[in-house]
Amino acid sequence: MITQVRNSWRTIFMVAKMTLRQNVMDLFIIFTVLVQPMLIAILALAMLRDKGQEYILFVVVGSGMTGIWSSLLFISGNSINVERWSGTLESLVGMPTSLSVIVFGKNLANVGQSLLSMVVAYTLAVVIFDYDLTFNQPILFIISLLLTIIAFISFGLVIAPVFVMNPSVQRWQNAMEFPIYILCGFLFPIAMLPQWTTPISYLLTPYWAARALHGTSAGNAPLSQTLFAWGMMVFFSVIYFSIAARLFKFMLVKARTDATLDME
Amino acid sequence: MQTVIVNLRLFWQGTLLSYIALFNWLRPMTYLASKIVMPLAQVLFFTLLGTFATGKDTANFYIIGNAMQIAAVSGIYGVTMSIGGDRWNGTLPYLFGTPANRLVLFVGRAFLHIIDGMLGVVIAFLWGVILLGLDLSNTNLLALALTILITTYSTSGLGLLMGCLSLITLNVMFVNNTVYFALLLFSGANIPVQILPELLRAISFVLPLTRGIAAARMLITGATFREVVPLLTGEFIVGSLYVVLGFILFRWFEIQAKRRGSLETV
Repeated sequence: MITQVRNSWRTIFMVAKMTLRQNVMDLFIIFTVLVQPMLIAILALAMLRDKGQEYILFVVVGSGMTGIWSSLLFISGNSINVERWSGTLESLVGMPTSLSVIVFGKNLANVGQSLLSMVVAYTLAVVIFDYDLTFNQPILFIISLLLTIIAFISFGLVIAPVFVMNPSVQRWQNAMEFPIYILCGFLFPIAMLPQWTTPISYLLTPYWAARALHGTSAGNAPLSQTLFAWGMMVFFSVIYFSIAARLFKFMLVKARTDATLDME
Repeated sequence: MQTVIVNLRLFWQGTLLSYIALFNWLRPMTYLASKIVMPLAQVLFFTLLGTFATGKDTANFYIIGNAMQIAAVSGIYGVTMSIGGDRWNGTLPYLFGTPANRLVLFVGRAFLHIIDGMLGVVIAFLWGVILLGLDLSNTNLLALALTILITTYSTSGLGLLMGCLSLITLNVMFVNNTVYFALLLFSGANIPVQILPELLRAISFVLPLTRGIAAARMLITGATFREVVPLLTGEFIVGSLYVVLGFILFRWFEIQAKRRGSLETV
């Protein structure tokens, strides 16, 4: 059991390392992780210029989160399909290592690298716009960031098999980018939305991640609220992981039965 | 007369086939996602962000700006993919092997995307009216339609230039995505052009959309057609300049590719 766990982690880190090396050369990924969040940050900083200093950190965190979500949607969402397009999916499925462990490693790399979005937004605000920014609860913020990584990985593990099994869903990929920005309150509170959308936001781990990160960066959220957001992130991550496990199992059985592993 | 008929036929077939090829590949579901849902999502996101920043009274500013900016979906992505598609699908050598009029071939690639882009803008405006309470009761609708046409044309002009880049680089989607977001930033869709620093205002001045968005805002607040004519003329000239630049690049690429034997390089 211990050896199995150790081997899985070794695989996860090897896959993450390989993925990062490949991603560094990919201009689409560079755009998604660096350029787009930077442009969104400039837009939001200019639009919220009259809201006061306390909103600058909100914009930095929020625009960074747009980069994490876009990266998850377009890169992690296609993490299985990419192997299919390269003709390596059959080999991966045929290995004794579980495909979900490999996709976990890829998502770890993708989500990890997408944290750069936040660094870019922060640097932009401090260097170009000359704001003086301090994270008010740095330790709580770092813990929130670590939980955010897990929460986004779990979300990515649900999306990837859904996109493989339902190409018609994947075709909505472009249209799914902004709705999550809106529903998860990355750059404005969800209180601005109609009330019927609130339960949808509550079901999404990025929403709880945004609450935890916004609260701990600004330092205006009581500890109980931060702990609640962490709890919800963990709770929904566990649910997402269990849904993902079933989806992977179903996807592989279906692909083997229909002999469609290498077919788009 | 015979030449005119041949060129018209060439124009129509080229425009129709390149458009059908593009959306046959993308399939209707993608078309619906990019034409119905994506405009709604973009208009909603920036309108909510804008009203969060400056209050509900300014909602129209963001609705109009982002609805007009939807022209760039067809104008930039659609046109680029129509031009670049010939290279990716290996039909470029055949295309350059024909004696067909190059200007007709080139402009034909954009024609249906202008119509399609107009449809996208109209849908975005409809979302604005239905969901966000945009009031068009004081608007000269014919003038607004002409504004949408000219703005979509000028954005497609930039798309033609970008499309030529897709003939010489493999990373055109990076350029396209950057241009799309740069338009959100510099065209006045979300940030008033007047508050931009001087250098950025100069960029805004040479981009398509800037004057079109300004004209649409004026018309919706009750301005007459005569009042927006200078803006529309400027928008048309900017768009035409991009078409000319794009065509020069297209011809240059053809000559270079034939000279170097790199027509099939992908």
